Amino acid sequence: MALYNFKKIMVVPTAKDFIDVTLSKTQRKTPTVVHKHYQIHRIRHFYMRKVKFTQQNYHDRLTQILTDFPKLDDIHPFYADLMNVLYDKDHYKLALGQLNIAKNLIDNVAKDYVRLMKYGDSLYRCKQLKRAALGRMCTILKRQKSSLEYLEQVRQHLSRLPSIDPNTRTLLLCGYPNVGKSSFINKVTRADVDVQPYAFTTKSLFVGHMDYRYLRWQVVDTPGILDHPLEERNTIEMQAITALAHLRAAVLYVMDVSEQCGHTLQEQLELFNSIRPLFANKPLIIVANKCDVKKISELSEENQKIFADLSAEGIPVIETSTLTEEGVMQVKTEACDQLLAHRVNTKMKGKKVHDVLNRLHLAMPAKRDEKERPPFIPEGAMVRRKAMEVDAPKRKLERDLELELGDDYILDLQKYWDLMNEDEKRDKIPEVWEGHNIADFIDPGIMKKLEELEKEEELKERAGEYDSDEESEDEEMQEIRILAEQIREKKQLKVLESKEKDVHGPRMPRTATKVERKRLEKEMGNLGLDMDDKDDSHYAQQARRSRSVAKKRKREASAPPTSRTRSQSASRPPRDQSGLRDAKMVKKTKKMMKKSQKDMNRQGKKGESDRHVFDLKPKHLLAGKRKSGTTDRR
Amino acid sequence: MRIEKCYFCSGPVYPGHGVMFVRNDCKTFRFCKSKCHKNFKKKRNPRKTRWTKAFRKASGKELTVDNSLEFEKRRNIPVKYNRELWDKTVEAMKKVSEIKHKRQARFIMNRLKKGKELEKEEAINEVKKNIHLIKAPHAGKAKQLEDKMVQKLQEDVDMREEED
Repeated sequence: MALYNFKKIMVVPTAKDFIDVTLSKTQRKTPTVVHKHYQIHRIRHFYMRKVKFTQQNYHDRLTQILTDFPKLDDIHPFYADLMNVLYDKDHYKLALGQLNIAKNLIDNVAKDYVRLMKYGDSLYRCKQLKRAALGRMCTILKRQKSSLEYLEQVRQHLSRLPSIDPNTRTLLLCGYPNVGKSSFINKVTRADVDVQPYAFTTKSLFVGHMDYRYLRWQVVDTPGILDHPLEERNTIEMQAITALAHLRAAVLYVMDVSEQCGHTLQEQLELFNSIRPLFANKPLIIVANKCDVKKISELSEENQKIFADLSAEGIPVIETSTLTEEGVMQVKTEACDQLLAHRVNTKMKGKKVHDVLNRLHLAMPAKRDEKERPPFIPEGAMVRRKAMEVDAPKRKLERDLELELGDDYILDLQKYWDLMNEDEKRDKIPEVWEGHNIADFIDPGIMKKLEELEKEEELKERAGEYDSDEESEDEEMQEIRILAEQIREKKQLKVLESKEKDVHGPRMPRTATKVERKRLEKEMGNLGLDMDDKDDSHYAQQARRSRSVAKKRKREASAPPTSRTRSQSASRPPRDQSGLRDAKMVKKTKKMMKKSQKDMNRQGKKGESDRHVFDLKPKHLLAGKRKSGTTDRR
Repeated sequence: MRIEKCYFCSGPVYPGHGVMFVRNDCKTFRFCKSKCHKNFKKKRNPRKTRWTKAFRKASGKELTVDNSLEFEKRRNIPVKYNRELWDKTVEAMKKVSEIKHKRQARFIMNRLKKGKELEKEEAINEVKKNIHLIKAPHAGKAKQLEDKMVQKLQEDVDMREEED
């Protein structure tokens, strides 16, 4: 169905916009640079491309517009007629025809100029030809200004038409203006149509949807119709007539019994008779509205006769009041039932029924004994069904209370709570204490558990679990602790001292540095030795002796010593024995020397500073596939 | 309002703090701070991350099985509000938490006792091995000898006096 395509029609641009857009597109999407010295075929191709591009764009856009807009012959006659009423069929067709012609003209222009461009022999000539072609195409389009404007307005209005499905179940409301058709649709569906005291408040068709018997129903509200011949009807009334004519719906002819609409019952009856032909083959109901003001029984004899006549003809007359809502449901049910019956009948008379009937089979269960098994409906369901039918309010709702109290109303849901004590309903319930959720502790048996726990605790305390066990240590242990502490301190100090020493170069052995006597005596004193009057101790004597020896002698012109005198050779021990006390020490030093050299010898080093690498890239490490094992080094 | 537990460190997540992560299998994870959240995203196991409560409980550093811990647990059946029950519960909570703290402290103290003994032994060892750093081996020996000699002389003198 072409129903929803009305909303998908692309925007029709104004002529000016159309031209602007296409030309700027041509400029952007085709190459822009061309020079005089290019080869002529290249120049021609450049300009031909521009002409063809513009033509292509116009052609595409116009074709799109022409295909988007619905063809009046292709859509449902209801919509075709509606569009005719609203937009004038001729004008519509003319506008689309004009666009078609324009499209063809543009194509022809482009074709001609492309042909001409083949004979352009300079850049200037080709450029002028292109200018002429583009100019002509744009002029053609400028002449379509009014058509494009009209089509844009049609498109906007089309997209806002109510989406009425012409084939589904529909209820159609018609009658004089101001009789209560829009109020009726407001009551029955969720539609929100304007209801005002002046005539012709509703100026176009409105759709509302409702549910009845698990089916979706459309309710169509029409503008009011006045009683004059067809030719004199204006657009608004024609919409109503179109709807009446084409939609297969149940017709609800609404009459105003109290004559508040400004027209007498006679006039309304006349209108009814004049549009009667439109009601052929449609279930019809007369809705006598505004009965809260005046009932039919209160009318005069003649008027009552009118209604009597109508009901005698077989048309149900139902009194309603959209204000008090009486009778509205009745009308609804009556109309829907009639329409359903009508639709079923039409379908039965058609050809398709038999296909369906052949496939249907109603299974009746065979009786197995004489026991009666009527359908069982529980009490509650019956009560509820009755309540639904009567449609009375059940209990006082919160909403009613809110309306009553107005500003003073406070939403207090706690009054509905079902607690053991009524007066605890407004309590502020604590939720958290010191980082624990109270809800985690709630337990009806908590007091019992607490008692057990406290008993346990008491037992534990008695057993002495919680006694503090700081054993008093004996004096010896305390002394040991103090000493251990001192030792640890001394160790840390030594570590810090050695870190502070700034030894970056080769290390001198300890014996090379001189130790001051004061320092020695102080340290040894700290260690607990008695260091008073140590003047004739070994180290003091040595110090005195070496001082006397270390005085420099004045060198006089004397022959340098040619050979070492015996005294020197005697007093100076050979190098490999100097500093060693006894043979044991000699042996040890020799061993140490050999040990430190063993490693170097094995690696073929010349000395300890030899860092030469013989093989920088050993093959066994760098060649081969990566099999199992880590691959974080190569 | 409820104070939740952080999934990673088992700390309290107060309302308005932290982050909740909902996984595709509809399991929610709450985190008290971004540290826990980031650790979770790095797929670290809280039972192996040393500073979390889960680790401490799993490796026996804290009290796990105890009656005082059975009071606080998540209940799925709500109980209707009853003022006296709530009052009693609040008082019980206070007492239970007291007992719980005591027991937890006791547990940790017991665990640390062994360390104290080791400390003692270490001190003794230290003193034995490294006493030379603060006291020379023969520190008091000179004095000792002197005293001894004095004592001996005194004895001799005494003996000679006796003889005489």
